[in-house]
Amino acid sequence: MRGEPAMAALDDRALRGLVESDRVHRDFYTSPAVFELEMERIFGRAWLIVGHASQVPEPGDFVTATLCRHPVIMSRHADGEVHLMFNRCAHRGAQVCTEPRGNARRFECPYHGWVYETDGRHAGAPYPKRYASGFLKGGEFDLAKVPRMAVYRGFVFGCLSADGPGLDEFLGPMKSHIDAMVDRAPDGEVEACAGTFRYRFGANWKIQMENQNDLYHPMFTHASTTARDGTQFRRHGAEDDEAGRVRLLKENEALNEQWEELAIGGHRYGHTYMERFPMDRGQSGPVHERYRAAMEASYGERAAEAMAVKHHNSIFYPQWSIQYLTQHIRVMNPVSVDCTENVIIPLKLKGAPEEMWRAALRSNNNSHSPSGMVMSDDMEVWIRCQRGLASPGREWVVFARGMNEERIDNAGSFEGRGTSEANARHQHAAWLDYMCGEA
Amino acid sequence: MRAEIERFLYLEARLLDERRFEEWMNLFAEDGWYWVPAAPDQKDPYDGVSIFFDDRRIMKTRLERLDHPRIHSQKPASRTMHALSNIEIDEEHGEEGEVLVRSNLTMFEFRLDKQTVYGGRCRHSLRIRDGGGFEIAWKRVDLVNCDGVFETLSVPF
Repeated sequence: MRGEPAMAALDDRALRGLVESDRVHRDFYTSPAVFELEMERIFGRAWLIVGHASQVPEPGDFVTATLCRHPVIMSRHADGEVHLMFNRCAHRGAQVCTEPRGNARRFECPYHGWVYETDGRHAGAPYPKRYASGFLKGGEFDLAKVPRMAVYRGFVFGCLSADGPGLDEFLGPMKSHIDAMVDRAPDGEVEACAGTFRYRFGANWKIQMENQNDLYHPMFTHASTTARDGTQFRRHGAEDDEAGRVRLLKENEALNEQWEELAIGGHRYGHTYMERFPMDRGQSGPVHERYRAAMEASYGERAAEAMAVKHHNSIFYPQWSIQYLTQHIRVMNPVSVDCTENVIIPLKLKGAPEEMWRAALRSNNNSHSPSGMVMSDDMEVWIRCQRGLASPGREWVVFARGMNEERIDNAGSFEGRGTSEANARHQHAAWLDYMCGEA
Repeated sequence: MRAEIERFLYLEARLLDERRFEEWMNLFAEDGWYWVPAAPDQKDPYDGVSIFFDDRRIMKTRLERLDHPRIHSQKPASRTMHALSNIEIDEEHGEEGEVLVRSNLTMFEFRLDKQTVYGGRCRHSLRIRDGGGFEIAWKRVDLVNCDGVFETLSVPF
């Protein structure tokens, strides 16, 4: 039965009424009440990325960030460990740090001068005698830690819930997608040392989630990024040749049937991915040869496998993705039901030739800066979706493309192909699990 | 000299506002570049990411896109007003054969019922052409909000 969902009370029945196998109700994107529940049941329980440990290389280094709308500090303490705590004084609640990044000996609250060590430990309050004896002792007034923190290959994660699956279980087979990025570095490490881009757009967070693995849109949304022969501007590679220019369209703007050959898929907890574009040609040339030599020195027989770009992008539901071609992670923070803020963090492959890093920086500038030729058309489309969905003329959004073609296994993974909307359907199923208590 | 420099910079601003992008690009030298850093006081474009860091080739790609019938982020197109003030000729710095000019930029952009204001400090290094006149060897715009949160940008500053 397809009925209109009753939005008066957001019980399980109402929530289940928003998501059907091949369509979702527009309230899924536009209801502030649904959004507030998502913050609690999805963002309050999933492992969320904060950044990369290389953003705080030295003791005392810190960055401030947002974790599901909460201000947090990621810092490296004198003991060399990374700590993740809420940016809120234990006394009257003021943020103790407002710089985006820096190095601090201690964090000092501007209100009454309470101070904290860079691991969050309370280091004292001025004029303590007016507190009852023993009141300030015992760690009760430390900066509150994010309930759980974990690091995988340098990427720092926080979880707002003390219970639930560990990071290892949460990532599951998606760990190999993080490895696929990090293993491309001859030194086996990536570094977030190029700053960030931040931008904000007026659309619900799930619209971007559904878009990133959508192979049905590039030839239309990004038509303006292609030259007359259907190729895009250079997206990767340091060599001054045609490799690295992806052919989105065939000549005369005809669609390229190679899109349909691409593997897509997903794993438990709503994570999805798509394979590297088949029309993206392999790199060659003297810089690439130096890179190959460095990789062979590190990885031996595994080098060719390790240096291969395997995926185009991989989404770690509900909040971040890796873009392999341009070499960055995209952190996607919901702000409100109709506003999302992105942070783009480029990744340097440690030990790779400098020319490759310079090319990656330029590729990030050209495609994913606020003026990026790829991002600006995407954002425009997401905003238009949000505005269109305000219309009551039609209640449902359709995700029926390639319906029932995907192969699903018992562990919650699936494999699909091409321009199917299976990845979005997989995210919707995970949404239901989170929202109706089965995640 | 000062009057000539001012005339040149005002022409540049007008070409952008009149969306005469190809003529704007042709004000740049063949080896010229246009840079809008994404961090304050960035020393080198390869120290980090940039909002724009375009040589003539990328400039051409970008500007051709601005004329593409399916550039969705410019439908409708932005209307802009570039205003320059505080023009100073820096006689101490500057490279051989070039004049370093500092100015303050205010840009208003209007699109889809929304007006956005940008402010920044510009540096133009103007190369003196053999037959007279200038070409832009490089232009750098340091936006006051360079590391802030942006919405979509399409038109150059």
